[in-house]
Amino acid sequence: MNVDETQTKQKQQQQQQPSVSLSLDDVNPVGLGRKSRQLFDEVWRKFSGLGQISRTTRADDRESLDALLIREGPMCEFAIPGAQNTTVLVVGATSRIGRIVVRKLMLRGYTVKALVRKADEEVVSMLPRSVEVVIGDVGDPETLKSVVEGCNKIIYCATARSTITGDLFRVDHRGVYNLTKAFQDYNNKLAQLRAGKSSKSKLLLAKFKSADSLNGWEARQGTYFQDVVASKYDAGMDAKFEYTETGEAVFSGYVFTRGGYVELSKRLSLPLGRTLDRYEGLVLSVGGNGRSYILILEAGPSADTTQSKLYFARFTTKVGFCRARVPFSSFRPVKPDDPPLDPFLVHTLTIRFEPRRQRLEGPTAVKQDLRSFKLKLEYIKAFPTGQETDFVLVSCTGLGIESTRREQVLKAKRAGEESLKISGLGYTIIRPGPLKEEPGGQRALIFDQGNRISQGISCADVADICVKALHDSTARNKSFDVCYEYVAEQGRELYELVAHLPDKANNYLTPALSVLEKNT
Amino acid sequence: MSPSSAAGKFNVVKCTSAPTATAGAVNLGPGTPVRPTSILVVGATGTLGRQVVRRALDEGYDVRCLVRPRPAPADFLRDWGATVVNADLSKPETIPATLVGIHTIIDCATGRPEEPIKTVDWEGKVALIQCAKAMGIQKYVFFSIHNCDKHPEVPLMEIKYCTEKFLHDSGLNHIIIRLCGFMQGLIGQYAVPILEEKSVWGTDAPTRIAYMDTQDIARLTFIALRNETINGKLLTFAGPRAWTTQEVITLCERLAGQDANVTTVPVTVLRFTRQLTRFFEWTNDVADRLAFSEVLTSDIVFSTPMNDTYQLLGVEAKEIVTLEKYLQDYFTNILKKLKDLKAQSKQTDIYF
Repeated sequence: MNVDETQTKQKQQQQQQPSVSLSLDDVNPVGLGRKSRQLFDEVWRKFSGLGQISRTTRADDRESLDALLIREGPMCEFAIPGAQNTTVLVVGATSRIGRIVVRKLMLRGYTVKALVRKADEEVVSMLPRSVEVVIGDVGDPETLKSVVEGCNKIIYCATARSTITGDLFRVDHRGVYNLTKAFQDYNNKLAQLRAGKSSKSKLLLAKFKSADSLNGWEARQGTYFQDVVASKYDAGMDAKFEYTETGEAVFSGYVFTRGGYVELSKRLSLPLGRTLDRYEGLVLSVGGNGRSYILILEAGPSADTTQSKLYFARFTTKVGFCRARVPFSSFRPVKPDDPPLDPFLVHTLTIRFEPRRQRLEGPTAVKQDLRSFKLKLEYIKAFPTGQETDFVLVSCTGLGIESTRREQVLKAKRAGEESLKISGLGYTIIRPGPLKEEPGGQRALIFDQGNRISQGISCADVADICVKALHDSTARNKSFDVCYEYVAEQGRELYELVAHLPDKANNYLTPALSVLEKNT
Repeated sequence: MSPSSAAGKFNVVKCTSAPTATAGAVNLGPGTPVRPTSILVVGATGTLGRQVVRRALDEGYDVRCLVRPRPAPADFLRDWGATVVNADLSKPETIPATLVGIHTIIDCATGRPEEPIKTVDWEGKVALIQCAKAMGIQKYVFFSIHNCDKHPEVPLMEIKYCTEKFLHDSGLNHIIIRLCGFMQGLIGQYAVPILEEKSVWGTDAPTRIAYMDTQDIARLTFIALRNETINGKLLTFAGPRAWTTQEVITLCERLAGQDANVTTVPVTVLRFTRQLTRFFEWTNDVADRLAFSEVLTSDIVFSTPMNDTYQLLGVEAKEIVTLEKYLQDYFTNILKKLKDLKAQSKQTDIYF
């Protein structure tokens, strides 16, 4: 804007000048001399400039030109259209990846906030000067409130300095949780100022906090076999949904009948003006004791339930409370010919238990009867859709960590990832191979899901992925592993080459990520 | 310090690599190995230098910029995340401290037009190279001028050529990159005057120059830098096509949609002025600046086929920006910007 203003001013001055026809200056011999000198200088400058191959213009207009077009403007090869109005919070700005992330963001014209624990001279000198340094600690939720203010996106590349469990828990697990929470709180606060709801917040479908909240839920039973023979195997089943004295909503029972199931169902009543098509999936907070359950959505015109179509998705629980994230895209029609699920039409939600395909792991598995179950319910929410990612998290694959500590590190990292996934924010989780300190953009990259990578990757490449992911819709709600291409012997290639060497015009990220699965 | 005879005629530069008093040749023993990602850019505020810095930062290098101490510091370099150190090539004692922990030096410095060409471009460079050698810098990238070996009558070109030789003889691991012309230079020279309806000065010289985008030069430089097979080689970077001044002006006129007010200066006039100014000591700088007119009178072409270079670097020709594309981008953007400004200034008229 400054450049614009000064330019307009200069123009106005130029316009005004001719209107002053004759002043004292014009007849003043010194003034005249100066003017003729200026005129001569200008001519001479141009004249002598002719004798150069490539000349440099005067410093002042070069500066303004550069600022206008080449440094920040559209002619800079790094400039990104969305960058001007985006503030990015970088957590771990002095880490190996973070340092490069900050620089890349600055080059692209983003406004950057860097979170540091202490504003030491040593730390601040590592950051570009125009970065806003904010002080806070991801382990301390109170300090994060002011940190997230004004931020549009977050890149989290902090990691614990040690592999001590306490540090890991504080930075890699709770740190991510605290920051997502602070960020969501801030988004909600903003939305409330506009008398609305944040488009990033989740929609509460059901919360089981009192006996009344169980109203409308109906426990049912049924069998998959409709023929007479089935009744021979009817060993009985039962299920009940109750609010216990300890304040928990518990759906429990047993299914001994072969091919039988029990389910808990409710017709959804959404708040006025809300439809599920603006949401991308469901988050359930449940204690399911390791059993797997089937979520069934009934969709169709709500006036005529006979036309409803059924869609199902399976989710597994862990011992103790856990949050299950079930995206709408994972629902399959019960009748294979039905069209894919349209969340707009969903009117009924059902949680079904069946003894089939129950698999338990761990030492407790042996003692349990797989035909009985107990499901504690806390809440059911829908998480919103969006175009871009809000939170980029740099995690790790576990390669390159000393084997004795690998499990602890991975556990903390995965827990952090989980808390981000269920936060409702659009996320991108990057799990790079062992980091290398070398320039980026040198080698082709492999993007993969499923813990199969074997190579390292340069910090600069990871940083580049972080920055590119900010405005890439294919990066939203994805987690993936990334490493250098494995150069195998001829004929023994394991992977297909999905990425190319990045260059000026080549956005390698979109094609590489578009083949990967979402909501992983 | 000066290896040349300090006389009025100073285009007699002897190319002797006599290592005179280099500031305290410190040989840092086998201590901590320097990281290959740490580079020093000399001349970082220049047209090419800033692109080199930006490219380096984006590729993940740690960049230190050697900048002359001055009242208005180069803020934009710090804003991008580079470290700025103050040193002056004409004061050799300031150099060694800036080289500590550096793996590669990229030298894009050229003296400013207003100062004597010898201080930075010859004496400064000699000091820098000697210092780099003494301190065990592992690679030195030097930007030179295309055809500099063919025009010893032009002081800047001769100095560049001598520096090339000096660098070669120094035994440093090096890459020399010869350049033709920068597209960025054309903006101030032709594009802006045409838009502002000021007169454009051009010559009728038939010289052709293959202009290149400095962003491309920076990109190719780093590809070359990492390629170990290019060590000690001499590369020439040229744009896709060589242009005469008249052609560039015509192109600008077409893209700007308005005719230029061209003042054509015959090359003979330039040449004559140079001859004249050479007679007086106080106009020697002027003479040197006009020296290129010697080159410009010939129908020489500042260009070279790039196919081999592209192949060597693994770059495709279509990735290199052409002048048409570059200027078109510029005019589209600037015309849009001017339109916005006009709209704004009209609005302010209402209030005044």
